[in-house]
Amino acid sequence: MKWIKRYGPYLVLYGVAFLWIIPILWMADTAFKPTRDIFSIPPKWIPSHFTTEHVERLFAEWPFARWLLNSLIVASFVTLGSLVVSVPAAFSFSRLHWKGRDAVFMFLLVFMLLPWQVNIIPLFFMMTKFKFLNTYQGVALPMIAMPIGVFLLRQFFINIPRDLEDAARIDGCSSLGVLLRVILPLSKPVLAAFSVYIFNYAWNEFFWSMICLRKPQMVTLPVGLKILQGAFEIDYGLILAGAFMASLPSLMVFLLLRRQIIRGFTLAGSGVKG
Amino acid sequence: MGLKGRGTIPAPFSKMRNRIGRFFYRHPGVEGFLFALPYMALWAVFLAWPVVYGIYISLFDWDPLRGSKFVGLANYLELFREPRFWNAVVNTFKFAGMTIPLILGLGFVFALMVWGWGRKRRGIVVVQASLFFPYLLNVSIVAIVWKWLLERDVGLFQHYLNSIFPSAPVFLTEPAWALPAIAVATAWWLAGYRMLVFQAGLEEIPVELFESAEIDGARPYHKLVHLILPLIKPSLLFALVLTTISAFRTFGQVLIMTEGGPGWASEVLALYLYRVGFDYFDIGKAAASGVVLLFLILVITLLGVRILGLKSELQ
Repeated sequence: MKWIKRYGPYLVLYGVAFLWIIPILWMADTAFKPTRDIFSIPPKWIPSHFTTEHVERLFAEWPFARWLLNSLIVASFVTLGSLVVSVPAAFSFSRLHWKGRDAVFMFLLVFMLLPWQVNIIPLFFMMTKFKFLNTYQGVALPMIAMPIGVFLLRQFFINIPRDLEDAARIDGCSSLGVLLRVILPLSKPVLAAFSVYIFNYAWNEFFWSMICLRKPQMVTLPVGLKILQGAFEIDYGLILAGAFMASLPSLMVFLLLRRQIIRGFTLAGSGVKG
Repeated sequence: MGLKGRGTIPAPFSKMRNRIGRFFYRHPGVEGFLFALPYMALWAVFLAWPVVYGIYISLFDWDPLRGSKFVGLANYLELFREPRFWNAVVNTFKFAGMTIPLILGLGFVFALMVWGWGRKRRGIVVVQASLFFPYLLNVSIVAIVWKWLLERDVGLFQHYLNSIFPSAPVFLTEPAWALPAIAVATAWWLAGYRMLVFQAGLEEIPVELFESAEIDGARPYHKLVHLILPLIKPSLLFALVLTTISAFRTFGQVLIMTEGGPGWASEVLALYLYRVGFDYFDIGKAAASGVVLLFLILVITLLGVRILGLKSELQ
């Protein structure tokens, strides 16, 4: 009885966690076992031998490295772009006063709740007109325009004590000075959380990326995997090698920065409450 | 130039700086607006305008090559007469009805588990990390892995299920089971994020409340119903609205796992929109279904915000 009380919770916790990552373990397992083992019945947990043939084929026959690079460029572009436009906007919506500010912000709020991907048809034709199809800026710009960042940052900026700003202004700070010297230094955790959230969002975005990027050389990882999967419906070795290699960057970054990432998502997900 | 300690600024610039500074000092409203302007411009072009433009396109027999023809509401009427459209609407609601409770329920149970049992236990981080990690994968990875797990005969889950229950269906090829299977995959993908949010909510509850409840002889069940649930209700409701919105725009999982099949059995609205627009090139109709989907989400969100009294949450 005492034993159960002491170790029971551990058993449940680790049991659930293990069950939860079986799909990931199975993905890694499939990616590195010979095709014969992949289709064996019953499923073979331990491969007869370890092989990298699928991964080698992935890099030899597909522009997988290029997809990785594209994802990295798009996600960085979106993150930086968002920071550059959202920070001053959030500052303006929280600490500066101008006519119609709150009405405009309410309007933004409604749009935050609407998923912009639903607009792919008009966006597609707009981007055709701008000649932005198959370009990084084409995929990135609608994501940069997402209001979530402005919303999140505003929530935080609003709670910074007024006195700090007043003191800076008395010392001769302009609004820009207040933003750069008072607000931003105090907002490092929120800016980090925001960056983690947006980077992950852009890194994983699928619907619009698939519509906007149509050249196999230009696509990001999620779209590339879709191409891979569509080309060989049953070549599971290759497809899962692709899926595994695509999840590897996330896994490595997560193992390195677990604490920061979890804190970032917690802040982004619940910070909305203020 | 009157700016002591700022000798590094060349004279003409400092003069300009002064002039700009004076202008903004006299017109603070202009300055505030300018700070918001870059974002607002992007927002107007890439978010607000497409909505208007989408409504515009939906009123046309759209053909950018040979010229478009204004048809009024004909696209909408055609849409409403089409069984495949209604099928997609029903599937979208069914899918939402399945994923939302799964995601929120699992997320809440995980949060309770990790929070309640994890406080005095080492190694809880590993558990939390394992439960959260799937959220960081992209939708293609999730869909590919689950399609493989559910593959006939050779898929890991499908195989063991069929060896325990020989009559268990092959999920992804069975019209009644394809959508639930996708819902489970989606819950696996997203529940970890809800766990984090709920866990943050739980951690905000003062420990003293639990202590005094224990002194009063409260059972775990009482603590859950009378203490935990009322206190994290705001984060539950907020998560409900966000999860609902994301359920309604589900696309990638369905496209990769079943392509809407078998037949149209798992076709949801976003996938229908994609098919009509980019496979059948009926742009006007696709835009119309986009407007319908947007409208649906708007109504549900506003209703949710109204009914659940979330207005204060959002401000």
